[in-house]
Amino acid sequence: MSATAKLQYFVRTALGSLVRAPFVHLIAIASLALALVGYGSARIAQARLVGMMKSFGGQAELVVYLHDGQPPDKLDALAQALAERAHGEATLVSPRTALQRLAAELDEPALLGADLGDNPLPWSVELKLPVGERDPSRLKGLADQVRALPFVRGVDFGQEAVEALAQIEQALRLAGLFAFALVFLTAVIVVSATLQLAIFARKDEIEIQKLVGATDLFVRLPFLIEGMLQGAIASVLALGALKLAGRALAQGALRNVGLLIAEPGFVVDWRRLALECLGIGLALGLVGSFIAVRRFLKV
Amino acid sequence: MFHVTKAYPGDPPVLVDINLDIEKGEFVFLTGRSGAGKSTLLKLMFLAERPTRGQVLIAGRNIARLRDSGVPYLRRNIGVVFQDFKLLPNRTVAENVGFTLDVIGTPRAEVREKSVKMLRRVGLEHKADVSPMRLSGGEQQRVSLARALVNDPALLLADEPTGNLDPALTLEIMDLLFDVNARGTTVVVATHDATLIERYQKRTLRLEHGSMVADERGHKAARLMSQSSPLA
Ligand SMILES: Nc1ncnc2c1ncn2[C@@H]1O[C@H](COP(=O)(O)OP(=O)(O)O)[C@@H](O)[C@H]1O
Ligand SMILES: [Mg+2]
Repeated sequence: MSATAKLQYFVRTALGSLVRAPFVHLIAIASLALALVGYGSARIAQARLVGMMKSFGGQAELVVYLHDGQPPDKLDALAQALAERAHGEATLVSPRTALQRLAAELDEPALLGADLGDNPLPWSVELKLPVGERDPSRLKGLADQVRALPFVRGVDFGQEAVEALAQIEQALRLAGLFAFALVFLTAVIVVSATLQLAIFARKDEIEIQKLVGATDLFVRLPFLIEGMLQGAIASVLALGALKLAGRALAQGALRNVGLLIAEPGFVVDWRRLALECLGIGLALGLVGSFIAVRRFLKV
Repeated sequence: MFHVTKAYPGDPPVLVDINLDIEKGEFVFLTGRSGAGKSTLLKLMFLAERPTRGQVLIAGRNIARLRDSGVPYLRRNIGVVFQDFKLLPNRTVAENVGFTLDVIGTPRAEVREKSVKMLRRVGLEHKADVSPMRLSGGEQQRVSLARALVNDPALLLADEPTGNLDPALTLEIMDLLFDVNARGTTVVVATHDATLIERYQKRTLRLEHGSMVADERGHKAARLMSQSSPLA
């Protein structure tokens, strides 16, 4: 009972079945591939949405107001410390500059000319986060940290907008997860129903195998290998379809629709998507055939 | 077997309180009218069915309580010739015989070699590579027998192995079964054919309406059989 003899037998049986009944297997592969195309498009759309969220977050930069009475020669060092903490860039804004901006914004040049005595505006630091870290929850976390520093009087970052964005992002994640579970479940049902067709053609063979002393595992393995093979083939097909669709969107044919999904600079991580599709395809094929073969094992 | 009762769900019992003891190396006929429960009794021995009550001991183990996962290992020691042959039309004769060896992980070349050797023993070597569908009933019966024997089982169960065969073919099959028995395998043959039993004078168990009504050896059995009502 060598393991290689068994493995050879299983692979031979699985391939033999693909060749003997190509039609049912094509249906199984097609249904698997459809499920994967659904998953892939959902995944790309989700990545696109998350990308949009990140760029929103980037617009809301952080303004840190400092307490009065900081030694003027320390101000640059404080700005630098904040920049390091945020992994970003810091710009020191003097009360004078702030007043100029305010005057410009209010369209009241008189503000500058009038002698207000002491300028009531504090020194402040404008913090810009690097592109990769601009998501709402990070921004909020950073604001809380900075606010706790002793020399900081307050932080301003469009808090409400950012929190709303964070909630939307969370909801998107949940919806994505839910959609994924739903698609997976549906696919398992469809795939195992299809695989049952293929297995039904071999129910006599299964019965005899069991009557002459085959274990359930022995009967099952060729079907599991078959299921994984189908999953692998289906994931290659699905990726090909997604790639073609992506290219069609990028090249004028569907330009108007395409702009919604593929704005310039947005790139799909194909390597990751390929790995995910392959993994899900294998899992679907495996679970589907495991369920499908169950009811034929009772002999 | 001790106090074995078997009922299929929803029906009255098919076998009622059966007691019997078959020795290693014995040759036994199991007879009775069609519907008496012969096939069911055989099925209890290789766990195609489980007894409703009672014990079935094989080599000292009560298989009535064997876990499902243990069933394959029991079956590997039991050869069964099915009433309906159970041969696969889309495989060759040799591949059908080889099934028994495939499931225990025998390398392909060895499966082929042993299958052909077994086919030679039943006189069908020249048909190794055709479909069983191209064989006569008697030939299919022999293929089925070859599959049952190729792994050298300790116990051979044959359900109506001469069912629809003409007298010459019947003789051929019976000779094969006695040959197997002579090599040490315990053989149980279910048959409703009274002439077989009369001709061979072997131990005979007789079922009637699910009960064991006779367990006789040799000439005495034959005499009893011929006195009772003709069997279906
Ligand atoms: N799977 C089954 N389900 C229900 N009843 C069955 C089943 N198999 C056999 N029977 C019934 O059990 C009785 C005995 O059948 P069987 O053992 O095949 O008898 P025999 O082989 O002696 O002709 C018959 O009445 C038959 O209808
Ligand atoms: Mg019968």
